[in-house]
This record gives sequence, C-alpha cells and structure tokens, in this order.
Amino acid sequence: MSAIYLFIVILIPCIGGALTAVIPWKKRIYMLIYLEFVVTLTSALVWMLLLNRPDGSFTLLNFAGNLKIAFQLDGLGCIFAGLISFLWPLAVLYSFEYMTKEKHEKVFFMFYTITYGVTLGIALADNFLTMYCFYEMLTLVTVPLVMHTLTREAVLASRKYLYYSIGGAAFAFIGMIFILVFGQTSDFALGGVLNPEAIVGHENIFLLIYVFSFFGFGVKAAICPLNSWLPQAGVAPTPVTALLHAVAVVKSGAFAIMRLTFYCFGVGFLKGTWAQYLLMAVVMFTVVYGCSMALKETHLKRRLAYSTISNLSYILFGVTIMTPLGLAAALSHMVFHAFMKIASFFCAGAIMHQTERHYIHQLDGFGRKMPKVFAVFTVSSLALMGVPGLCGFISKWNLASAALESEEVIAYVGVGALLVSALLTAMYMLTIVARAYFPSADFDYNTIKDVKDPNWLMLAPLFIFVAGMAVFGLHSAPFMEIVTAVAEGSF
Amino acid sequence: MEIIKNFPCLSILLCMFAAIISSALKGRGARWLNSFVIAAVSVLSFAVLYLTITTKESYVYVMGHFPAPFGNEIRFGSLEAGMALFFCVIMMLSLNGGRKKLLLEINPAKENLYYIMVDLLLSSLLALVYTNDLFTAYVFVEINTISACGLIMITERGHTIEAATRYMIMSLLGSGLFLIGICLLYDLTGHLLMSNIKAGIDAIVANGTYHTPLLVTIALIVVGLAIKSALFPFHAWLPNAYGYSTVSSAAILSSLVSKGYIFLLIKIIYRVIGFDTFRDSKIINVLFVFGLAGMIMGSLSAIRENDIRRMISFSSVAQIGYIYMGFGLGTAVGMVASVFHMLSHAATKSLLFVSGSGLTDVSGGHKEFLELTGSAYRNICAGLAFTVGSLSMVGIPVFSGFVSKLLFSQAAILNEHKVLPTLIALAISTILNTIYFMKTVIRIYTPAHGKYASASWKENPAYAVTLLLFIILNVVLGMCSQPITDWIAQGLSVFA
Amino acid sequence: MEQLLLWPVFCPILAGIALLFKKEFKQRKTLLVFVGSILLVSGILAIYGIFAVEGGVTLFYLTKTLPVYFKLDMLGKFFTFVVVIVWILAGFFSFEYMKHEKNEKRYYAFYLIVFGVLIGLDFSGNLITMYLFYEFMTLTSMPLVLHNQSREAVMAALKYLFFSFAGAYMALFGVYFISRYGTTLEFTAGGVIEAGVLQQHSALFLTVTMCMLIGFGVKAGMFPLHAWLPAAHPVAPGPASAVLSGIIVKGGVLAVIRVVYQLIGVEFLRGSIVQTVWMALTLITVFMGSMLAFREPVLKKRLAYSTVSQLSYILFGLSVMQPQALTGSLLHVAAHAFIKTALFLGASAVIYRTGATRVEDLRGIGKGMPVTIWCYTIVSLGLIGIPPLSGFISKWYLATGALDSGMAVFSWLGPVTLLVSALLTAGYLLPVTMQGFFPGEGYDWKRFAGKEPSYLMLVPLLALAVLTILIGVLPNGLTEEFAAFAAQVM
Repeated sequence: MSAIYLFIVILIPCIGGALTAVIPWKKRIYMLIYLEFVVTLTSALVWMLLLNRPDGSFTLLNFAGNLKIAFQLDGLGCIFAGLISFLWPLAVLYSFEYMTKEKHEKVFFMFYTITYGVTLGIALADNFLTMYCFYEMLTLVTVPLVMHTLTREAVLASRKYLYYSIGGAAFAFIGMIFILVFGQTSDFALGGVLNPEAIVGHENIFLLIYVFSFFGFGVKAAICPLNSWLPQAGVAPTPVTALLHAVAVVKSGAFAIMRLTFYCFGVGFLKGTWAQYLLMAVVMFTVVYGCSMALKETHLKRRLAYSTISNLSYILFGVTIMTPLGLAAALSHMVFHAFMKIASFFCAGAIMHQTERHYIHQLDGFGRKMPKVFAVFTVSSLALMGVPGLCGFISKWNLASAALESEEVIAYVGVGALLVSALLTAMYMLTIVARAYFPSADFDYNTIKDVKDPNWLMLAPLFIFVAGMAVFGLHSAPFMEIVTAVAEGSF
Repeated sequence: MEIIKNFPCLSILLCMFAAIISSALKGRGARWLNSFVIAAVSVLSFAVLYLTITTKESYVYVMGHFPAPFGNEIRFGSLEAGMALFFCVIMMLSLNGGRKKLLLEINPAKENLYYIMVDLLLSSLLALVYTNDLFTAYVFVEINTISACGLIMITERGHTIEAATRYMIMSLLGSGLFLIGICLLYDLTGHLLMSNIKAGIDAIVANGTYHTPLLVTIALIVVGLAIKSALFPFHAWLPNAYGYSTVSSAAILSSLVSKGYIFLLIKIIYRVIGFDTFRDSKIINVLFVFGLAGMIMGSLSAIRENDIRRMISFSSVAQIGYIYMGFGLGTAVGMVASVFHMLSHAATKSLLFVSGSGLTDVSGGHKEFLELTGSAYRNICAGLAFTVGSLSMVGIPVFSGFVSKLLFSQAAILNEHKVLPTLIALAISTILNTIYFMKTVIRIYTPAHGKYASASWKENPAYAVTLLLFIILNVVLGMCSQPITDWIAQGLSVFA
Repeated sequence: MEQLLLWPVFCPILAGIALLFKKEFKQRKTLLVFVGSILLVSGILAIYGIFAVEGGVTLFYLTKTLPVYFKLDMLGKFFTFVVVIVWILAGFFSFEYMKHEKNEKRYYAFYLIVFGVLIGLDFSGNLITMYLFYEFMTLTSMPLVLHNQSREAVMAALKYLFFSFAGAYMALFGVYFISRYGTTLEFTAGGVIEAGVLQQHSALFLTVTMCMLIGFGVKAGMFPLHAWLPAAHPVAPGPASAVLSGIIVKGGVLAVIRVVYQLIGVEFLRGSIVQTVWMALTLITVFMGSMLAFREPVLKKRLAYSTVSQLSYILFGLSVMQPQALTGSLLHVAAHAFIKTALFLGASAVIYRTGATRVEDLRGIGKGMPVTIWCYTIVSLGLIGIPPLSGFISKWYLATGALDSGMAVFSWLGPVTLLVSALLTAGYLLPVTMQGFFPGEGYDWKRFAGKEPSYLMLVPLLALAVLTILIGVLPNGLTEEFAAFAAQVM
C-alpha cells in the first residue's frame, strides 16, 4: 500500500473523534455505531497496512533541516500498531456499555478516539522528533480522560499525571537533541544511529544522556521513583484505566524506550556499560516494588495499577538485557501483558459498573454471582502469575532465557526478581479470587442478591481476551517467530 | 527602491509626531491616530524588510548632513526591519486585546495620554532597533523608560504608582550604568557611532592595552541593560509592574519593552564590542549563570504565586533567563536561539496576559486561582488561548516554545562545557513551567457552579479575533521556524 | 497407541471441569456413580497405560523448544501406581465421609481434576511438562484444603498456595537454567547437562540446584519451608487430608528425584556443599517433625507433623545418593503413601462417627471401632518400622545405604536420627492404640459403642493395611526394579 495511508490511519480517528463532539446525536446507539465504525475502519486499515507493508516513509512536514514529521512502518511499529488496533475496537465496545453510568459521554469518546490516532502516531513514527511530538500529544489528549469525572481526586490525579509526563518528556527531549545532533540520520535504524566518531572520548556524557532519556520515557512506563501517577490516575473511568493506563499510554513509554535503546543509541554502544547495569537494577527494583505495593493496596483498580507498574518493568527488563532475544522477550511481554491486564481491568470495571464496589474486601462471594466475569478474572490472574499454559508463562520464559543467554550475573539476579514478583503476583491476585469464590462459611449470599454479570457488550471483549491469552499461551511459536524476526531486524 | 531607505527614519518620526498631535486630541481621536500610526509603521517596516531580504544587505542612513564621525546615523538590515515589524504587530494585538479593559480602568479624560505614551514608546523602540549611535540609543532608552512608567501608572491606583516608582528607580539605575559605560567607551575610543567604536575597540584589543577598562565598560553596559530587561537577580521591579498595570500595558511591557533593551544589547554585542571580544570576556559566563539561575528561580517564584498575573510576570523572569542563557553560550547558534526566543516569548507572553485578563474578567475581576476555577468554561476563547500559551511556554511541539527549546539545546550541544548544565536546567525549567502553567490550565477547566456569569465571544469580537491572531502567530512560529531562523541568522551575519 | 497416555490424564480433568459447571444432581447417588466410574475408568486406563505403552507422546508445543511431552519410565510407572490405588480407595472412603460436608459436588470435581493432574505429573516426560502439572497440582488442590471455608481453612489454603508457589518459582529459577544449558529437557539418567558445562559454571549450578531442592522441597514439607503443611493438611475434609498427606506431597519427592538424578546428575552433586546442606536440612526436618508431632494433642495435626518427618526420611535417602538409599527412599514413598493415607482415613472415620479430634478424647475407642483401630495400629507399627511391615524394609534400606555411603559424619548421624525419630514415632502414634484398647479402670465403654463405620469406609482402610503388610512381606519385586533404576541413574 502507499505510504500515505500511514498518515491517513492516524488522521481518521483524530478527525472522527473530533466530530463525535460536534454531531448532534439523535440516539445514543447511532453514536456507538459511528464510533465503532471509525475505530474498526482504522483498525482494518492498520491491519491491511501490516499485511502489505508500504515501502519507504511518508513525510508530512519538513520544518527545519533534518527535523521532519514522517511516518513509516517497521517491525517494531508493526507489533505495537497491531496490538493497539486489535484492542481498540473491543475497548470501545466495552466502554459504550460502561459509560452509561458516567456523564459527558461525547467529550469522553472524542478524546478516547483521538487517543487512538495519537498512539498510532507513536507506533508509526519514522524518527525521534515525530515520536516525541506524538508522545507529548498523547499526554495532552489523555489528560481530559483522566480528569473526566471532574472530582477533586480526578483533578489532582490529572495534574500529577501531567507534571510527571511532561517532566519526563523534558528529559527525553535531551536525548532527542543528542540524537538529532550526533546521529548519522534522524530516522530510526535498528542498531542505532549515533555517529561513532562523535562518541569517542565522551562516552560518559552520552551514557548519562541515555540514562536521562530512559528515565524520561520511563515516566510513562512508570519506573520506580516516577510511578506514583499511575495508581492515582486510576480515578479515570475504567475503559481509560484499562486501555490507556495498562496498554496504550504506558506501553508507549516502553515502546519509546525500545526505540531509544535499540534504534537510536544502539545496543552496541550501551551494552556492558554502567548505564545498562544501573537501569537494569532500577528496573528490577521496580518489578519487586510494584508487586509489593500491589499487595498492600486494598482498592481493586489501584492494586491492578501497581501490578501494571511491575509488569511494565518486566518489559523494560527485557529491553535492558540489550540483546535481540531480550527485545523479542520484551515485545512478547508487551503484547501478552496487554491482554492480561486489559482483561483484569475490564473485570474490575464490570464489577464497578454493576455494583459500584471498589474495594477488594467488598467482593466476597462474587464468584458465584458474576461467574463469567470472575472466570475471566481468574484466568487473567493465573496468566499474570505465569502459570504454564497461559501467555504470561511464555513471556516470562522468554525474558528469563534472554537474561540467561546474556550471561550477565545481574541479569541472573533479574530472573530472581521476576520470580519473586511472580510469587507476589500470585499473592495479590489469588487473594481476590479466593475471596470471590470462597467467602467465609457464614457468608450470606442474600446481601449480594442483585449482583449479576453485565451484558454482552462488556462480556464479548472479555472472552476474546481470554481466548487470546490461551492461544498465546498454548501456541506461541508463530508469534514468537515474528517477534524474534523483528528483534533481529529481518521482519 | 531608494525611497524605502527613508522609511526607518520616517517611521520613528511618524510616531513622535503622532504623540505630539495626540496631546491635542480627545481620547477617541488619539486611539484612532495610534492605530493608524502602528499600521503605517507596520507597512513601512514591511517594505524595509522586503528590501533588506531581497538584497541581503544592510544600509546606513545618515541623518541630516553631517557625515560620520560627527553625525547621527540609522542603520538597518533585515533583522532590524523584521524586529520593527514584529514589535508593531505585537503592539497592535496587545492594544486591541486590552482595549475594552483599558476603557474601564482609566480615567476617560486621560485616554489620550495613554496613547501618547504608546506612541512615544513605539518611537523609542524603533529608535533602539534602528539607531547606529550609542548616544541616541541612550536618549531613547530614557524616553522608553519614561513612557513605560506612564503606561504602568495610568490606572492611578496605589499599587501601580508604587510599581511605577519602583520601576523608575531600578530603570534609572540601569540607565545610569549604561550611561557610564557609554562615557567610558567614548573615553577609550573617542567615538559614539557604533561602527567607529567597533574599529577603535578592535584596535585596542589588537594592542592588548586597556584590558581592564574595556572589561569594566562591557560589564557596565551589560549590567545596565540587564537591569532594565529584568534579568535575575535584577528582576525585583518586574512582578508588580507587570502584575498590577492594565493588561495592554503588561503585555506591551513584557513582550516589547524588555525585548527592546535586549535587542539593543545584541546590537552592542555585535556592532560595538564585537562578538569575539564579547565571547572571550568573562562577562559571558556571568550572563550564563544568571540566565540559568533566572530560569529556575523565576519559575520557582511563579509556582509560589497565587495571583495569575503575577505568576505570568514571574514566568517572564524565567523566559528572560533563557534569552540570557543563550547569550551566555557564546555561539552564533545560541544567539539565533535567543533572538528566536525573543520573538516566541513576546508572542506567547502577550497572549497569556491578554487571555489571562479574559479569564479574570469572568471571575469577578479576581486574580486568585481559587476564583478562577472553571473560568475556561465561562470564557471559552480566553480559556483556549491561555491553554495554547501555556503549552507553548511548556514547550509542546507545534507551538513556538518548543522550537526555542530545540534551538537552545542544539546550541548548547556545541559548547562542550556548558552542555550538561544547560540541558539539565532546560529540563528542570520545563518541569517547573509545567507545574505552574498546567496547574492553572487544569484549574480553569475544573468546573465550578454558577458563581459568575459567562461571557460570549460575541460581546467582544475584537478580543476574540486578537486571541485568534495570537494563536495563529504562535503556531506559525512553531511550525514554520525554518525561514524565521534563516532570517535571524542572515540578519545577525550582516550585523557585524 | 501412545495417545493412550493422554486418556487417564484428561479424562478425570475434563470430567471434573464438567462437574464444576453442571447444575446440582437431583440424587446424590448419581453423583457418586459418576465420580466412582470416572475414578475407576481413569485408574484402569492409567494402569493399562503403565503396562502397555512404551513410547512417548507430544501433546503440543508451548514455544518452539518447549513440548508438552508424556512418557513413562520406571519412576513414573511406580508413582502412578501408588497414586491410582490410594486415590481410588480414598475416593470411595469419601463417598461416605462427605455426607456430612457441604458443597459435595465441588469437592468431587476438584478431587477428579487433581487426580488427572497427578497422573499427568507422573506421566510427564520432560521438565517443562512436569513443572506445568506441578503448578496445576498446587492450584487445583487448594479448593480441597479450604473446602469447609472456615476462616482457618481459607487462611491455611492461602498459606499452602503461597508456600507452594514460592517453592515452584524457586524451582522455576532452576528450570530456566537447565533449559539454557541442558542438551535436552527430557529426563535422562545421569543428567542432561554436559560435565564440562557443569564444571565451568559449578558455582552457578550448585546455587541453582539448591534453589530447586528447596523449591520442590516445599511440597515435601522440607525445613525451612514446611510451615504450611501442618496448617493445611488437617483443615481439609478427612479423605482430602489423607490424599494431601499421602500423595500430593509425593509430587515434591518425584520432582526432587527427577532433578537430582535425571537432570543435574549425581556425579556433579556428590560430595558437594549442596549435598551436605540438603542432608542436614532433611535430618533437621526428620527430628523436628517427630518432636512437633510428639507434643501435638490434635490427632490430625499430629499426623500432619508426622508427614513432615516421614517425607524427610525419603528426602534423606535421596540426598545420600547411594543406590541402596535410593531404593529405600522409593520404597518409603509407597509405604508412607499407604500408611499415612490409612492413618488419616482412620482418624477421619473416628471424627466422622464420634466427632473426637483430640488424642485424649479417644480413650476406649478400640472397643467401639475395633476394625478401624486395628487397621490404625497395624499401619502405625508399619510407620514405626516394626518388621515385617513395609516401614521396616524401607528404613532398613535407608540405614544401610547411609552407612555404606562412606560419608564421614552423616553415615552414622543419619541412621541415628532415623532411629531416634522412629522411637518418637512410636511415642506419638501408639498412645491412640494403647488408650483406645486399654482406657484404664472405671471407663464408660458405652461411649463409643457401635460406632464402627460402614463398609465404604472400612474396605479402603483394610485394603491399605493389607498393602502395608504386603510390601513388608514381599518387597522383592519392587526392590529389584528400584535397584535397576538406581544402577541406571548412578
């Protein structure tokens, strides 16, 4: 297909989303059909692009020298674009039911759809500047979503989200400048673009800058000292928490770090330096920290948010191994975690939607009253723990084999951290499951008499996610082949 | 084409005459005359810009018939012409945006006085931009100061009078230092025309004599102008002056007056001292450090502020820090970045002041954040414009602030010793900017119910159009930066 | 033909899942018939598989290099055999016992699922398959533990779960390394990692092995991660605690044997620090378990502590890494499985009929429930190690193996500990018998009169007691097989 479609797929949801707020809808259902159409159209186009990849790139605007806004589709972009374009239509379906109980739907759906376009922009960016632009935009278009309920809590959360994200971008900006000035080209290229002559004698400065930008993008990926925005942002409506704060936004951070590490600075330069070890240590700490905090948390969505923090650092751990295998493992966890976490968030959302209950101790006996939702929740818990046969096990396996293959002792420790985190995951997820299925013997089911499963709009996405988890868990070889090819640059 | 060369002089004179005539006119007439003059000067400047850009040369225009070294000269290249045009545009927009507010705030009998001051201010700005003579520059610096004081205290309230007095004292201190600097230069070289002084200084530097006096002179001039343009730590006069004056004045003061001095400083650096001499002096490091400190401290003060106008004013301190930091880098690219930031900051800051006034108007005139809650819903245009201004200040791509940030960083990388402090300061300053601007944006978009009435854009279409133009200007600066930076680089290169 | 291996694994699992989703049966009998037939059919299929199938079968690939693969070797056959016998017997016992518990359907569903998972564990032909079923064993057996849903039971179940997962993940750490450096993941006598690689990374592999031993040791109740066992086993319904204590803990033993003898290889471990530490841990556990059992008043808890101790007999035998000790360990696996199940079933029968849980309440019970207590006594004697019962044979092999091992301190410290523990075993098991039959003077014999349970309970008990005697009297067939296995792996 022609490269201009790369821009069109970004444009459709942006314009389509903006129109949502303008058109006077006679019936609510028309809006659903329209939105679903816009989003599905975009996704279909994206998948067509993935199957017939355009050669070369599309330059939208060239605003100074090597500073241009351009789009292309390479292997890494394929994975991310494919992932979000698969999830978005399902999430819209879900949110349509969920939003019946919230206000200002139109504004919500406007930003929700625009975010799709912006996230695609990150996936399809051809160079650092383009990615950076869309990265900043992503922050801006998601703030209204976090703020949606307009409660004091939401306002505080969105403020924090904004400070953290833009602050992080400010540090990522430094990295961008270095790449623009010292790169041989401003386009992404696997293996890095830094001019080797420029580095000689200034290695430490470059590493420091790399660390800065890693932390900068790491804000979105919620690495340890910079993670506190994510649990707070859980005040947003669940479709936002699920799709954006478990997939699109946070994975954009991880994705940007992959671009930064593998496509800009280059692992050849970074591997074996203090920067690698430092970052790996931070990431490992985050893995354990996130889980520990999740265990402490009693609010369901916040617990899942902390779990996201931990799991994002799994991805980053794969990145910091800095081998093709590590990247492949990171990518696989990026995709798998998306399925697991969006499913568990959607379950949490379904519970909130049906019963307005937010805390874990209120979920006694729900397993019997919401059997479908809790079946999905149980499966996703098991997947998150890494029980063999579900996708979480595969990505953990990949991460561990990549770590072992790198033969770095610190990576071995990292494997240990993953396993500790797996245990903690088991603790914080299974306590919920156990409570729901096995309330204390004297529990009175009459108190939750009216609780029941939501309708198909909410359930259909859930079952699709479960199917995804099982398929990836039982038969991951074809997917892993693609991912490995991407990481080696042959896709 | 020859006739165009008369235009710079003509525009200065036009403004001065307009000021004189206005004193005899009523408020309404003065207002129209002022608008006409600004429009006329814009057209003239545009013509000059066109000439200088097509020929890529600079011209010297001799005033009267006394040739150098005795006579007075005007010199203009593309940079000067562009600056003049830009100043006119911003002034026009700022006045338009604050017009309605102005009528409410000042004594109607004194309206013509206001426009006299504005005309004088414009003439002095143009003179600062165009002049080739240091003493003329000094004279117009003083005119500038006086008219600026007038603009501050025109509302005749306690706060403004105090602020104006403060401004006057600090400014006169600055002018005094500047004057001593000029005297010393005259002592050293025996000239007042910039080109001649430059020749003298080059000779002195080549001889290696008068090292210390030269250093002192440079220091005096730089510090004098720095005080006047509110470089940290000489910024104490600024928040009150900008914060309490009427909105047009604040916008003009922050985006034009301080920029006029800075432009004069650039001119002196290139045309009097010589860029190389300046770079080799220690002053540059001082400027760099003050610039960095200003970036951080200005923002920190802004964060602590509870008054939206004063917050925007403190943000100016930070932005002026950026500009001086660009000087301090001591590279041509750094200078380009600084000049670009002058434009970008002027466009953004006046936008912020004007839109900020819209927001306070729909909040019962209160400037405290608590009262501003939800004001963006009450005045949609102003809310939108304020958001755009804030995003630009924070440095979000598409808006002008992003480009200045980009240029500053690229400039910094070329200076091996200053790169890390600059980049880190930039990043921290971005975070601080985010904190206070985004806090405000979120605040104005947090709904509050029914306390104040809303204002539709139809009530004041001029205001809405002004804001729209400001936004467009901002986006143009952000998206089409390449021709602008080319123009600045070209203009600077014909400076010397 | 190889596909036959899948049947006994998936038949009970699928049946169990179906049972979970099915509505309540109208008649309890239908449920029992269904469960009973599935148990029998799967059991017969499994036994048939043991004798008929030679090759292995790959079900599917998790990733390109990770097949889920079933294959039976001697070890697998032996464990399957034990599992099938005990599971069916305890299953029939529960038909009676579960009458007085709620949620029967759920119990049987998980009972069937765990059965399938255990057979899967025993059939596993490679490390990853074993790990898979090991995790599922933990997950699916948890509902058995918390069946009555009292707060205590739920807490115990969570404790069980988290300890087990902690262990599983420690083991997974090792799995990663073995798959990285091993030539294959299939169980191979003598290990799968080349000697050169082992020597090159010896420190690494010692650490990894220790992790795996402690990790899988959790299931087998090895010190220091044994604390879950005395909490979890007694709270389950009677037959469930019997199989938990008799069978599921053996999953850990199986895994340890696989790791030590068929993946890492004894050559590398013999004489290393790992062996010493491991042996010390097992001996500590043996002694500690017995001591704790000795001072425990509640019968089921006492039996649970006894499991802690007895399991470490087995682990001790494994840690000696000597053919005779290995034979002894494997014999003790069978012996302990039958004995401990019988003990728990006996205790459950008592609870079921009389509600008495504490040992001091059981005075004079022998008169009321003579068959039950006789069975109890026979198997107790077996556990203590009185000839000619099974416990004697296994302990004999363990002791001679240890003495032959030629290790300085442990060659005598081990047998001595075993002996002391045997005395303690007598001390904590026999009071039930003694007080049961000889309650002392002035005792009211009517209290327990006519409490003998139905045949559904007695037959499994008797069968287990007979098996205990049989293994003790005719151990030769088994010991020959074990010796062959030992020779193969060492």
